[in-house]
Parts: sequence; structure tokens; C-alpha cells
Amino acid sequence: MPVELTAPIPATAKAEPRLPGDPDLWFLILAELLTFGMFFVAYVGYRAMETEVFNASQLTLDRTLGVINTLFLLTSSWAVVSAVRAARANHSQQVPRYLALAILLGLSFMVVKYFEYSAKFAAGISLNTDTFFNFYFALTMIHLGHVIGGTVVLTVIWSNARKGACHAGNMRGIESGATFWHLVDLLWIFLFPLLYLLR
Amino acid sequence: MDEKTSLRYQLISAWCGPAFVVTFIIFWLGFGHNFPNPSPSLTAIALKERYLGSLGEIRLGFIISMITVCLYMPWTCVLAGQMSRIEGKNMPILSYLQLIGGALTVMVVSFSAMFWAVAAFRPEASPETFQLMTDTGWLCIDLQYACTTLQMVAAALVGLADKSKVPLFPRWVCYLTIWCGISFFPASLTGVMKDGPFAWSGILSFYFPYFCWLCWYSTASVFMIKEIRRRMNVAEPVGSSRLAAA
Repeated sequence: MPVELTAPIPATAKAEPRLPGDPDLWFLILAELLTFGMFFVAYVGYRAMETEVFNASQLTLDRTLGVINTLFLLTSSWAVVSAVRAARANHSQQVPRYLALAILLGLSFMVVKYFEYSAKFAAGISLNTDTFFNFYFALTMIHLGHVIGGTVVLTVIWSNARKGACHAGNMRGIESGATFWHLVDLLWIFLFPLLYLLR
Repeated sequence: MDEKTSLRYQLISAWCGPAFVVTFIIFWLGFGHNFPNPSPSLTAIALKERYLGSLGEIRLGFIISMITVCLYMPWTCVLAGQMSRIEGKNMPILSYLQLIGGALTVMVVSFSAMFWAVAAFRPEASPETFQLMTDTGWLCIDLQYACTTLQMVAAALVGLADKSKVPLFPRWVCYLTIWCGISFFPASLTGVMKDGPFAWSGILSFYFPYFCWLCWYSTASVFMIKEIRRRMNVAEPVGSSRLAAA
């Protein structure tokens, strides 16, 4: 049985406003957002110069797979939030279950991306096809790198949580991991409409 | 060696960091005509003309760069020493990793300059030779960044685990380090792209990651120098022993 070190944090407790996780982690989050913000500005800039090429190439993307991946990431973010909430309430057994779900969804995202990339390569489309596909592959690969990194982080936390290490008295690790995972999700929420939907 | 001498060498080595940044900017970027750098979509003939137009400067820039890039070495050694103090009596693997990461970074940067120096060596060579050497140099430095990323991640992990009263690096510097390491990833795309923002002359594969690299390097230098200064003050409080001796 995991030892309860601290009383559960009541959901209604009026806490001091604070940043979840390691406060300095937010420096990394902000820097990542600025980086991707720069990618997005570059994308929109190049798009304005070659609107027709972008519009034509965008149509070849599989929107259904894009929507499925969006749902995967949104659901995984919900699972991570549930894990944090369970840890805060000292429901230590539930924490690894929610995290496992989030990890599974992260892996599913990678599998879908694999099929998406293979279909593009099979159709003779590659990074060098045109400026749109420059961006499509570059941005989604960099994002995929973040998904892989985030999944590794969640797996480490999951393995700690199985030993009962995630509870109200030890929230820093799980909150930091959750914050990073939300960043990965948020970036996709921007990427998906920019690459798949913007006309 | 007594402590005072050791600290003095540490301080000199840490100052090699800022010295590297300044000389890198002057010789590699400036004299080497790498700001802006040649685009991979230039034709071989245009590229050769670019070299012939400023042959002397390019030769000087890259030959000196190959010397001054070695200022990165003493700096890496100081950081490894400071990190191993944090790792304590445990096996100092992260300090070792940082040390070899820094050493290999020197070789990666050095070889890029060497390929371009070779290109500038025989101005009568064919344009294709110029192109080949230029490609080799850029892909050498842009695709082999992972040595530097590992160096940075090792430094950041040790920094985050630092339990000292006054830590070597503030936590935000550790996260800055990780982020700067991540910013190199787009540079892998230089292996396939010939134009656009991800080509080796593009904003996202050249200007941005190189800026991040120098930004991390300069920030870390500031805190390493501060740490040595603190230890110097402890070893010899200002105006104490010298006055006592007099």
C-alpha cells in the first residue's frame, strides 16, 4: 500500500495562484511556444507567396487521419489531467491507469503518423516536393519528436506512479510532465488547422 | 598546485568561452563570409565566383577559426570540473559526457572550416570541386549537432540536480540549455533541402539554431565565471591575506 504523506488537496480549496510543476519549466514552455510561433509565422509568410501551390498540396493530405490524431491527443490530455487530479486526491492506484491510457494514445499518434508518412512517400511525395511539403514534413517531424519525448517523460512518471510515488505530497514530477504533454497537445492544435485546414 | 593557482587557471579557462564566441563571430561568420552564408541552391559557377571574390578573407577567416575554435576546449574542461563537483562521489558520467560532447563539437566546427579552407586552396579548381567541398563543410557542421546537444543535455541534467546552497546554474538556465539543444533538430533537414527556411542557409536551420547555441554558451559562461569568482572570494577574501602579509 502506498503511504499517504500528505492529506489530499480538496478540489474546492482556494489555493494561492501558482504555476503547476517546476516553475522554471515554464521558461522551456514559453521558449517552445516562441519557437513554434516563429515556425508558424514563417509558414504563413511562405504560404502568402505561393498560395496556389499550398492550396493544391494541402488537398492531398488525409484530413480523416489528421482528425483522428487530434482526437488522440485531446483524449490523452484529458487522461493526463485525470491522472494529476487522482494524484492530488491521493487515489494512487488510479494514477498509473490514466497515465497508461495517455501513453497508449501517444503511441497511437505515432502509428497514425507512420501510416500518413508512408502513404505520402508511396505516392512519390517527399520533403522536397514543394514548399508546402517542406513545411508539412519539417513541422510535423519536429512535433513528432516532441510527442516521442513527451511519451518517454510520461512513461518515466507512469513507472514512478506504479510504485505509489505520485500523491498529494509529491506533485512536482507529475505536474511537470503533464504541463509538457499539454504543450505537445497545444502545438498540434495549432499545426492541424494550419497544415490541414487553412484555405 | 595550490588552490590560488588552480582557481586562476579555472578563471582563464572560463573566459575562453566569451573569447570563443567573439572570435567565432569575427572569423567564422565575418571573414569567412558566412553571414549570410552561401545558399545550397547556388550554381557551382556562382559559388566559385563567390569564393574568388574574397579569397583572401575567406582563407584568413577559416584558418584562424580552426585555431580559435579550440578555445571551446578549456571552457568545456572547466564545466566538466564544476559538474563533477555537483555529481559528488558518484560516478561522474554526465561530466564525462559533457566533456566528450564539447571535444567533438570542436572537431565538428573545425572540420567545417577545414573543408572550406580546402575549397579556397586551389582557385583554379573546377566549380564542381568548390561545390562539393562547400556541401561537405555545411553538412558536416549541420548534421552532426547531436554531439553538442548531448553536451548541453548533460550540463542541464546536472544543473537541475544541483543541491548546493548557491547552485552553479539557476534552474531557468538549465531549461534554456535543454531548449537550445532542441532548437538544433531542424538542422537535420539540411541533408535534403536545397532552399526554403530549412535549407542550410534558411532561418530555421541556420540563423535560429546557431543563435541558440551561442546564446546558451554565453549564458553558461556568465554563471561559470560567477561560480569561480565566488570560490576565489572564499579562498582569499578581498584584501585579507595580502594586507596581512604586508
